[in-house]
Amino acid sequence: MEILANLSLGFSTALSLANLFYCFVGVVLGTLIGVLPGLGPVATIAMLLPVTFHFQPVTALIMLAGIFYGAQYGGSTTAILVNLPGEASSVITALDGHAMAKRGEAGKALATAAIGSFIAGTIATFLIALFAPPLAEMALKFGPAEYFSLLVLGLAVSIVLAHGSLLHALGMIFLGLLLGIIGTDVNSGAERFTFGQPWLADGVNFVVLAMGMYGLGEIINNLEKKGTRDLMLKSVSGIRLSWTEFKHILPSILRGTAVGSFLGILPGGGAVLSSFAAYAVEKKLSKNPIPFGEGAIEGVAGPESANNAGSQTSFIPMLTLGIPSNPTMAIMIGAMMIHSIQPGPSVLTEQPALFWGLIASMWIGNFFLIVLNLPMISIWVKLITAPYHLMFPVIIVFCSIGVISINNTEWDVFMMAFFGFAGYLFSKLECEPAPMLLGFILGPMMEEYLRRALLMSSGDFSVFFTRPLSATLLAVAVVALVVVLLPSISKKREETFKE
Amino acid sequence: MKKTIMALLAGLVMTAGAHAAYPDKPVTIIVPFPPGGSTDMVARIMTQKMSEKLGQPVIVENKPGATGAIGAAQVKRSAPDGYTILCASIGVWAVNPFLQKNLAYDPAKDFDLLTVAVKSPNVLVIHPSVPAKDVKELVEYLKLKPNKVTFPSSGAGSSDHLTAALFWMSTGTTGIHVPYKGGGPAIADLVAGHAEASFQNLNNVIGHIKAGKLRALAVTAEKRAALLPDVPTMVELGYKDVVVTSWQAFGAPKGLPTDVKKAIHEAMMAALKDPETSKKLTDPGFEVTASTPEEFAKFLQAELAKWKTVVEVGKVTLD
Repeated sequence: MEILANLSLGFSTALSLANLFYCFVGVVLGTLIGVLPGLGPVATIAMLLPVTFHFQPVTALIMLAGIFYGAQYGGSTTAILVNLPGEASSVITALDGHAMAKRGEAGKALATAAIGSFIAGTIATFLIALFAPPLAEMALKFGPAEYFSLLVLGLAVSIVLAHGSLLHALGMIFLGLLLGIIGTDVNSGAERFTFGQPWLADGVNFVVLAMGMYGLGEIINNLEKKGTRDLMLKSVSGIRLSWTEFKHILPSILRGTAVGSFLGILPGGGAVLSSFAAYAVEKKLSKNPIPFGEGAIEGVAGPESANNAGSQTSFIPMLTLGIPSNPTMAIMIGAMMIHSIQPGPSVLTEQPALFWGLIASMWIGNFFLIVLNLPMISIWVKLITAPYHLMFPVIIVFCSIGVISINNTEWDVFMMAFFGFAGYLFSKLECEPAPMLLGFILGPMMEEYLRRALLMSSGDFSVFFTRPLSATLLAVAVVALVVVLLPSISKKREETFKE
Repeated sequence: MKKTIMALLAGLVMTAGAHAAYPDKPVTIIVPFPPGGSTDMVARIMTQKMSEKLGQPVIVENKPGATGAIGAAQVKRSAPDGYTILCASIGVWAVNPFLQKNLAYDPAKDFDLLTVAVKSPNVLVIHPSVPAKDVKELVEYLKLKPNKVTFPSSGAGSSDHLTAALFWMSTGTTGIHVPYKGGGPAIADLVAGHAEASFQNLNNVIGHIKAGKLRALAVTAEKRAALLPDVPTMVELGYKDVVVTSWQAFGAPKGLPTDVKKAIHEAMMAALKDPETSKKLTDPGFEVTASTPEEFAKFLQAELAKWKTVVEVGKVTLD
């Protein structure tokens, strides 16, 4: 039983007093920056990197990793409580999570997110322990053509995010695609739609857009409907999940874990798709009488599990191949090099204590997170019952600090204000922001991979159909589109007939 | 209001008059890239020893955007008082002027050059499936398949993009340049075999070379790399022009008082020559250069001349 020996080596490393302590520090810090809107793990890890110079390499990595997955954990809190998604994955959590909070079930939504993340984190950790090297080899099969087809599938499935007019949703997706084009083109380096302004050269930042459309837009909306909001939150029921409810969401958690674990491995940005994909799966399979988008508990359980599983499995390419799957992993690689460890396939054989210690610490970190977060729920829930005239200025201040921390530029705050008004306008027009944010994220990636695939094939479009993985993904996209569109079209017809 | 402004001005005049006490407040190093990259790493590794030497905290502030142009322009506009310093890479110092239209700074004229802190050798790597054991065979292969072999880079106009252009120019070959968002994803596609050949920082690919996932054909430094003693330099192979190292260097707004300049330079030298700090730099693969301002000025002129030629002759444009 080699795996048992490896795990016991891992746990004996991770359970040393220093490692336990810094694992705890990491997840607490991570939760904190996750809860605060706009602050991200990348900047935090880079800033704390010099602090870890005097640590053992494994201790340094354990703490930095804790910040990363702790932030994923904390991100859902603000999304659920105040409809403020700080990163792409929590956009989805905000959809049903915040709807639940409005119904007075914020505690239940937070508990679902915490328990889902813990189960997903545990399973993903064991996946890494058991199958890391073969999984990494599989991830390498994804070239530009495969990523493009995967993103087509993602966009096709994204139509389900609309719970309202299909036309409005399509309009918002395209608006998102267009916003995503702003900035420097990866392929040629030319600037597009920047009007020669240097502050637009790198495009619109996702956090700026999300904070504006969700955070500020929501605040303007709430201020308009004076009074009703406080009434809504007076009735805070259900802080705990009952056993029946847990059994009810367990399948969603497991499906989310499966989707997230797979997509997290892909280094080319599969992780951002994980919560969207899990949401689509749940919406298709759910038998919940509450419609998705209006506070369906599966709409929190699935995506939150997917997001956490994905953040754990995104360590696989980094640890086994030395390939970073996201900016945080790139900094982790830098941290390894500063500690004289060459990232690459040799880490597993030359540094077994580091490899297995880090993996064991991830499980311990997930355990800390749930122990830390479950008791916090009642405090969070009390917090949102605070009078709104006290709360909204605080939210605006935190949003502004968060946004300015990204690039240290005041322009981002102005842009956030602009998108705040846009968000208010769109909510008046009954246009949902989620499809727009999805278009905003997927659009530029699709363009990048499409053009890269064509560049490599010298302009030959057949690469998308002759490469088996890519062809399969495209075929699934077509099937998904048909499955997704048919019922909504027929339902539309029904509605028309009713009138 | 007016009074406050007057008071502030008076304060400014007083501090300007009393610069002998430099530094009497924290010193900010502007890194014109997001946290976590090579330049950010170099600056952050150096801050601790620098603050010990200066007796004031040294803070790194990331001001990313427009491949470093936004941060560099901000430093140019700052007061030349020694409290705002730029730490930037080869791209900001020597490449942007020839690629970006309306660049808001002139690297040679707008800054007091301080030191080239570190250099790192680049290496020509190919995926093992490419049928070439050395540079000669790669050149033959490229000539056999004109405009077919893919060269991933960390971005349009990046130093690895320009090195490929320089290589094609010197060897009379062609290839497809495939830009990525950063070196990480470019290396990933190279390791996976989706792309074929690239010039990368040695420290970023050494693990893959040792594991046999990538084959190193040549280094582009002046002399062989300690980590790859068996791999020849491009100069040894007869391509005298293909000498490229990545480097990180410090500058300050033009017009720094002499004593302030001296104090900053001394603090930087103290950091770079400190054994512990220097180990933190050499472990990830940087070579400590620690040049004088005069050496930096000469080096910058040579680099500017080189990249001007590559951009013009290689017809590299960003539009």
